[in-house]
Amino acid sequence: MSTARTTELRTDCCADPDGRITFRLRLPTATRPRLLLVLRPKKGRPEETSLILDLEPCDDRGHVRAVLEPRPVLAEGRWDAYLLRGPDADRERLRPGLRDLRLLVGGDTRGRTSPVTVRVPYTTVDGFLALRTWRRAAHVEAGPLDLADGTMTVSARLHGAELSEDAAVELRPRGGGGTGRVYRVRPAEEGAFSFTVDCADLVGETAGPRIWDAFLRPAADAPPVRIGRLFDDVADRKGVYVYPRVTVGGAAVRPYYTVDNDLAVEVTGTG
Amino acid sequence: MKVSFLIHNAYGIGGTITTTFNLAGALAERHDVEIVSVLRHREHPNLTPHPDVGLRALVDLRREKDHPLHRRPAGVFPSAEYRHHQYSELTDLRIAEYLEGTDADVVVGTRPGLNVHLALQAPQRVARVGQEHLTLDNHPPALRTALRRAYRRLDVLTTVTEADARAYRRKMRLPGVRVEALPNSVPDPVLPAADGSAKVVIAAGRLVPVKRYDLIIEAFAQVVAERPDWQLRIYGKGEEEDRLRARIEALGLWNNVFLMGAATPMEAEWVKGSIGAAASNFEPFGMTIVEAMRCGLPVVSTDCPYGPGEIIRDGEDGRLVPVGDSRAFGAALLDLVRDDELRRRMGEAAVDHARRFAPGPVVAQAERLLEEAVAARSGGRRGIPGRGGMRHALLGQGHAARDLAHAAASGALRTVRGRRR
Repeated sequence: MSTARTTELRTDCCADPDGRITFRLRLPTATRPRLLLVLRPKKGRPEETSLILDLEPCDDRGHVRAVLEPRPVLAEGRWDAYLLRGPDADRERLRPGLRDLRLLVGGDTRGRTSPVTVRVPYTTVDGFLALRTWRRAAHVEAGPLDLADGTMTVSARLHGAELSEDAAVELRPRGGGGTGRVYRVRPAEEGAFSFTVDCADLVGETAGPRIWDAFLRPAADAPPVRIGRLFDDVADRKGVYVYPRVTVGGAAVRPYYTVDNDLAVEVTGTG
Repeated sequence: MKVSFLIHNAYGIGGTITTTFNLAGALAERHDVEIVSVLRHREHPNLTPHPDVGLRALVDLRREKDHPLHRRPAGVFPSAEYRHHQYSELTDLRIAEYLEGTDADVVVGTRPGLNVHLALQAPQRVARVGQEHLTLDNHPPALRTALRRAYRRLDVLTTVTEADARAYRRKMRLPGVRVEALPNSVPDPVLPAADGSAKVVIAAGRLVPVKRYDLIIEAFAQVVAERPDWQLRIYGKGEEEDRLRARIEALGLWNNVFLMGAATPMEAEWVKGSIGAAASNFEPFGMTIVEAMRCGLPVVSTDCPYGPGEIIRDGEDGRLVPVGDSRAFGAALLDLVRDDELRRRMGEAAVDHARRFAPGPVVAQAERLLEEAVAARSGGRRGIPGRGGMRHALLGQGHAARDLAHAAASGALRTVRGRRR
């Protein structure tokens, strides 16, 4: 746990689709202030990765600014934002001001190359400014998801790898155990494709909830690529992109996005 | 000039609190200003008042909620007022003491029951300004009757729309009371306005039935049928959430309509859209419409009483459609969705027209009203000479008689029901 002081300074930020983030706050009196980004470690582990940016004066009303350029690529995770007022000052955790993410809203229509990287500034549950980052060798961006007649059809696009003729989607039971389900893909242009899952396939004989995580194998011998939805301004998709339940016998099947914005399917009850 | 705002509870959340804090803060640049909160239930207010604005409470519920006088119903605060159950003999007493002892030149009441206190109990030297944030026509008859008696002792009564001001002038005989519309103000946006290119429609507010988000969702089905790349984002929380979610699922709109949860401030969210939507059945003002317009969005709204029609100029900076008509609402949205140039032009007009709700002009009007009321008081006059004459008086009496009859009838009904229990 961090014991850093918190500051009521509100920090505005602005993001562009290349991943460039500009931070801006009002700080009339500091000497050589800097912005500190710290990758949140796993529970019980020490902080190891951080990044420091200089905050430069940007107008005559006491505002300072720092630009996080698209490179270097940041590790995937959640980065907490702090202020360092001076060379020896303790860090102060920053509160968000206006997060201007309008340029992220339209998603991304360009093809991305490897590694696929995404950065979205967001507000933590307890009200602080943080940066959500993804970094993947390849990525499948999910689009519209249709549910009809007990089936789920997903349109998606592969980024950072080539879609070959023997590409297949695999739904794997979370936590290991059991065998995955494999579905053929219908390719379209520029790495886009769709696939259809018969929800009855996912319903087992054992009671209790079961979760299936969705991957694409771009080629028979290629490593699996996670299917998710990362290319817009929504850092936490789980409570916003909510899909209906499909009932199969006594079971309910519901696709959803995980806390990491990856696509999964939850099954409750038995067939 | 010393100004004292009397408010129900400055420590809560809501439009009246925001507006009062904004106005008090702006007036504090040139005047001595305080906010007096009848009730207090927590240490800090949700909004931070301007550093020069004093804030104090008359009844601290954290200590006094079990005070014997707080268990007895209020006698001065009218029983037909919406918040009567939160008032008591203790609030009667504390408000009376506050008014008697105040050194303010003018006291501003911010809801009907407090305006009644002000009208009946403020000393002669103090100018009395009542603010109405709801509307006369939506008040129950018994409340209208109570207000009719008390409000004639005010110097100024402000409403948030011209339509409501007209209703007060027509249906209440208030000789010597200046009745004037004073709209709510919306702070100047910090971010550049939306440029009309985003394929996103935005609505925001508490998720409650009167706001009719169900109608916006239904109307949006028409948009999706023709333009599946457009989305609708609804910001806010409330009791309707589950019903709205079910509606989205029933209409198969889960790829296009999203319940985003609450967002404060909304400014960074408005600029992600290119059209605003509001479908209320009833809207005394329409703060979110002004917010959206100031951020560059043309707004499609129902033409409900009273706010939207005084904010939006139909066909110039937005669209007004009949209340409860989802087909008309969808058609108005589609007109804007189909036409990029129209959307851009109306968005620019929205920014331009909504400037009249900037704090500058609204605060200037409020300041003038307060100063004139204070000057009239100290000169032994009140407000401005009464309007109307005989015809006006008769009309007002007709409305008064109807309200009395309704109030008596519903009183009798209550008695009958009471006996049945």
